[in-house]
Amino acid sequence: MHTKAKFIIGLATLLALHLMLSMPIHAHGVRIHHTVDVVVEITAAYDSGEPMAGAQVSVYAPDDPSTPWLTGVCDDEGRFSFAPDVSRPGTWTVRVRQAGHGDIVYISVGGSSDTSGRASGYAPLQIVLMAVCVVWGSVGTALYFSRRRR
Amino acid sequence: MHIPDGILPVPVSAGGYAVAAAATWYSLRKINQKENPREDVPKAALLTAAFFVASWIHIPVPPASVHLVLNGLLGAVLGYFAFPAIVIGLFFQAVMFQHGGLTTLGANAVIMGLPALAAHYIFRLRNLGDRWNRTKVAVLGFLSGSLAVGISVAIFIAVLLTNLPSQLDAPTEMTAIYALAIAHLPLMGIEGVITTMLVLFIRRVRPTILDGV
Repeated sequence: MHTKAKFIIGLATLLALHLMLSMPIHAHGVRIHHTVDVVVEITAAYDSGEPMAGAQVSVYAPDDPSTPWLTGVCDDEGRFSFAPDVSRPGTWTVRVRQAGHGDIVYISVGGSSDTSGRASGYAPLQIVLMAVCVVWGSVGTALYFSRRRR
Repeated sequence: MHIPDGILPVPVSAGGYAVAAAATWYSLRKINQKENPREDVPKAALLTAAFFVASWIHIPVPPASVHLVLNGLLGAVLGYFAFPAIVIGLFFQAVMFQHGGLTTLGANAVIMGLPALAAHYIFRLRNLGDRWNRTKVAVLGFLSGSLAVGISVAIFIAVLLTNLPSQLDAPTEMTAIYALAIAHLPLMGIEGVITTMLVLFIRRVRPTILDGV
């Protein structure tokens, strides 16, 4: 059974894809139009590290959180990328799901160019420390209840 | 087998909580009826820790990997303490490691806790006739360990299949769910063996541990 899926938002920053130049021939004036397309790439993996190959992805636009704007499937490395519609700025929602496991990430698009995603969680050392604390709590409970009755 | 937040619709999560609350109440009532309800608390506390940690022990079953559950073991060794122990273990897994989730805590408790009670009933069958017959203890230990995982997987599948969201491609998701279920078959054997080893060890070293169960 897989542990909870965790997303590492690999990178959701923009790749400037198209630089569209238009140069009218007739005058000396030059006009340069350019558009920047934002491409979001997510990488989905179980927290055992195994990529969620073939997981289903649904992308929701900020103004319509109920109908998927795009659906797709992760590749063998658990990656999925899409280009959100920059004319609909706000927080885009990406859900990944496979066999009852999955997670949701929120990616802000437009306005400021920053993106946000869930951090990749705790460092291994933190996890071990937290686990040790819980285990010690249990051991302490056991010791308390097993002390000799006076 | 831990269902995370955001997978189940609200009524199912609420229903999970209702069933889990009822089962917890019933277990606690049964514990309270014992002569000394506190007697088994140390055992329950230690096995809660074992349950909490067990979900990190991954067993690679190509193409997936599964992790230990140990709910059958808890049921066999703890009896009615198993259900509250599993609820507490799941709670810590959810809040500390986002393994499972708080909204699905009830549903996960049903998925893993009710089979633990089933394992308890199976293991209790040893009280018919010679209680400490080695073969009987071993066989019942294996059955409780493996069947608990099997029942858990069955409940897990049933909950997911009845709640497939419409935006998903249903056949793909169902294939993934069935693949996950099949990956749990070896786990049933592994947990059965672990439970057998533990109950045989207890039988040899300190059979009084299992007296109250």
